[in-house]
This record gives sequence, C-alpha cells and structure tokens, in this order.
Amino acid sequence: MTASSRGGRAVSALLKGSPSICSQCARLPPLQQRLYSAATAAASDASPIQAPISGGDLQTPDLTTPPVMHYPQHAPSQYSIKSGLILTRPPLLTRTLHPFETAFFLYQKRLEERLSAPFRKGFYFRHDTPAELDWRIKVRERHGVAGRDIGRYNPRGRMGWNDEVLVGSPLGASEEAVKERILTDAEMRVSEDGEEIPKEDRIKVERPAPRRTESDEKNDVRKLDRALDRTLYLVVRKGEAGWQFPSGDVLTSENLHETAARILAESAGVNMNTWIVGRVPVAHVVTKPVFKQDNPAQIEKKGEKVFFLKGRIMAGQADLTDNKHGLTDFKWLTREELQDVLPRGYYSQARLMMAER
Amino acid sequence: MAPKLPTTLLRRPCLSASASSTSPSSSPATTTLQAQQVRHATFVPRSRRPYTFTQLVQLSDGSTYTMRTTSPAAIFRSTRDTRNHAMWQPSDPSLRNVEVDEAGKLAAFRARFGRSWDVDVAESKEEVEASGAEKKEDEGMDYDTFADLISGYAVKEGGSKSGGGLSAKEQARLDKKKK
Repeated sequence: MTASSRGGRAVSALLKGSPSICSQCARLPPLQQRLYSAATAAASDASPIQAPISGGDLQTPDLTTPPVMHYPQHAPSQYSIKSGLILTRPPLLTRTLHPFETAFFLYQKRLEERLSAPFRKGFYFRHDTPAELDWRIKVRERHGVAGRDIGRYNPRGRMGWNDEVLVGSPLGASEEAVKERILTDAEMRVSEDGEEIPKEDRIKVERPAPRRTESDEKNDVRKLDRALDRTLYLVVRKGEAGWQFPSGDVLTSENLHETAARILAESAGVNMNTWIVGRVPVAHVVTKPVFKQDNPAQIEKKGEKVFFLKGRIMAGQADLTDNKHGLTDFKWLTREELQDVLPRGYYSQARLMMAER
Repeated sequence: MAPKLPTTLLRRPCLSASASSTSPSSSPATTTLQAQQVRHATFVPRSRRPYTFTQLVQLSDGSTYTMRTTSPAAIFRSTRDTRNHAMWQPSDPSLRNVEVDEAGKLAAFRARFGRSWDVDVAESKEEVEASGAEKKEDEGMDYDTFADLISGYAVKEGGSKSGGGLSAKEQARLDKKKK
C-alpha cells in the first residue's frame, strides 16, 4: 500500500459519516441545530414567553419545535411562465465573397508579388525530375508567372505598376474561379518516365462538393444540410397555434434551462447532440391575459411569458414521433424564412437573438 | 553585418560639454559646426519575404479553403484533422475507439496478468465487499492499485534473489574461484 493511497483512505474514512460536507467540518464536533428564535429564547430565559397563539389558555412555550413561518401571500398570478428553446444549426461554410472583396484580395496578392522575393524553383524541385518538368510546362502556360491566381502580371517588368484589376475583369470575378484555376493546375501533366501525358489521359482532380447541396435544390426545409452558409432555426407546428419554437410550461421544481432541455427531448426526440448555450434566456414573448367582459377583475384566460434559451445542434435530426406536445411538423429555417412563418410580434422578439447570417 | 543602431547615430551633441572642451584659441565657426546635429542616413534593409502561393487545403471530410503558403503544391490534402478525430466529432460512430483483438492476444494477456491497470474496469466482487462504501469515495485512486502491484512484485523479486539467484557475472566469478 503506497502512502498516497493510505492518506486517501484516511480522508475518506473521515468523510464517511457525511459525504456532503468538507473535511474541515467533518473533523469538528457536530454543531447543534439552533434557530435564531431559539437563541433569543435562551437569552431571555428568565421571563417566560407568551406563546403567539390565539385563545385564552396559556401554554408552556415549547422551544424544540421551530416557529411557524409566515410567507407573504402573493395575489394569484395573471401569467403562466413557459420556457422554450431556439435550437440553431450554426453555418458550416464561410459566406461567398463580394466581387469587390475578391478584386481586393487579388490586388493584395499582386502587391505581395511586388514585395516578396522571386520564386526559387531550384529550392523546391530537383532538376529533370517529373515534378520539375511538370512545373516547367505549367509555368510556360502561365507566361512565366509562378503564382496561379494573379493572372498575367510581372511585378518587375515595365508594366509592374499596373497591378490593379479593372472593373469587369474576369480575374477578380469570383473566388470559385480561383479555386477552379488551382484545381486544373493540380493535375499532373508529366508521367513518371518524364513524358508529357496527352490531355485525354490525364487524371482529373476530384472537385470539392459545391456550396449548394441537393437539399438546397429541392428546397427540403426538413434537412439540415441546406443553406450551409446560414444559421438554421428549428420551428415546430403546434396544431392550431401554428409555427413556433418548441416551448412548454415550467414546473415548480425546474429552472428555465432544465425545462428547455426537457421540452426539446419531449418534442423533438433524443436523437440529437445538442448543447444549451448558457442558462440565461435570449428572448422572451409576452401574451397579455384576457379578462372577463362583465367583471374585469376576473381572468378569463391567463397570459403567457415565454422565455427562450439558445441551443446548438451538433449532430442528429429532429423526430416528432410520439411527442408529448401535439406537434405535427417541423422545419429548419433561415432568418428570412422564419419571418414569413412566425407571427409578427413573435418573430420581432426572437429576431434580437439572431445572428446576421 | 549588423546595421548600426539608430540610437547611437542620433546622439545629440552636448553644447555645454563642447564649449568647455574647446580651447579659447579655436574659432567660433568650428564651435557652431560641432554643435550641429550630425545624422548619417542608415540603410535599413527590407526583410526578406519568401514567395508565397495560394494553396487549396482539403480536409478529410472534403471541405476546402485556400491559404497562402510557400509550398508550390496546388492542393494539400489532410489525412488527419478535426473532421475525422473523435475529440471534435464525438457523435460520429465510425470514430469510436473499438479494440481490435481478432487474434485474441489482448484477451489472453488479460487472462494471464489480470486487468488491474485498466482504470475504468469494474471492481471484482470480494474487493467491493471488503472496502464497502468507503471505496465509493476514492474511485480516483484506482491508479494506486497499479503502483501496489509494482511494489508487491519488486518485494517478491528481491526475496527470490536473496534466496540464491545469481547473476551470470557472479556465477562466472564463482566458477573461476573453484578452478
């Protein structure tokens, strides 16, 4: 038995009696349970205390029983408190660049070309290897320019000053064009024997998946692989109440975030990897109570205060089968699409927590 | 060659010191010349920047982005990154750590030497009974069982050695003596 483990045993033996208190408190003799009222009673022991009870007969004061606490009575609330969850799928792609931005980046690259040392081929390629031959062919096609995405620009030539892209030039048009140029450049032009491969025999480089997916083309609002550069929000349809974020009543034993997690599990299933961001609501919607026509003091229908928490979905998908809230349908929508679906006031409240994209 | 520091070059000549050091015979013209600030131009060479290309980086799930790099390769394909690592993709079942033990070697090892160094293994029944509720609190100390195992083994080994086991060198020396 090593020393450290023996020490651990000793501590655990100390803590054995009451696992919920710290070791310091565990070592001290147990404190006597004393209430403030009991202390005052002990101080004024000489004069007997009148028991605070109505009725004529006098009783001996029983100090062992705690006094009955009287909590202030609130008027019955006109509102019921609900908690909901705005479940979001973060954007998976960066946004597309504005043409001005692509033109600016091209200008920056050309400026870099002017400021940096020229490319030294001999440092990267050995002479007369297939890689070197391949490089030579490609550079010849680019008119001697080492960079793939700067166009025909020679920083040390007579026209080196002319580094800006003109409006309407295909060079600065889009980042997709840059990507395409790099991908065509990536395919090998020379075989291992050092012979040039004819165009039809070259192995094409596999193109990366496009920004717009199949769900985008079909506009399948239930799929999560749609609108990859936007945030998607989960909305559910609750019978006649229409589209809304999943929400439900807060039980007396629950906090808002606990309710939100429960509501999500009850309504959209547990087959999701989600994370509730913080315990503070990000939005709230208030519905005013309805009073009776003949007696305005009496409530016909309680108002609602719905507090929304923010959640993130990492994996999985919503599944409404056997949900406990009478939900019939769900959608994953972007911010603009939510505007068409949600009630006006409801959307404007939730709008404040939504990101730009 | 390191360039001269500008602080040494831009030192301001002290007027009072030059006035006191100059002899009264020196003309007033030279005094004014010395008092003037002397500032040689220093050549500060621009830092060498290597040539950079725009490279397309493709992650293991197929997503791409471009970056500036000195490598002349057009595409960089990564084989191991956050997209196929269990730490960043905890909900991907294909990345779960599953023990491959087709030949049964690991199982055979465990059968022979036990699995007391597997931290997350369930305790055997008699151990639980012996320690009782106390054991629950120091679950983090399971590592110590491994240390105990080593120390226990070392004691056993020492005992056997004193009992008569000799190293090859000692044995050879004894044989020499006998001759």
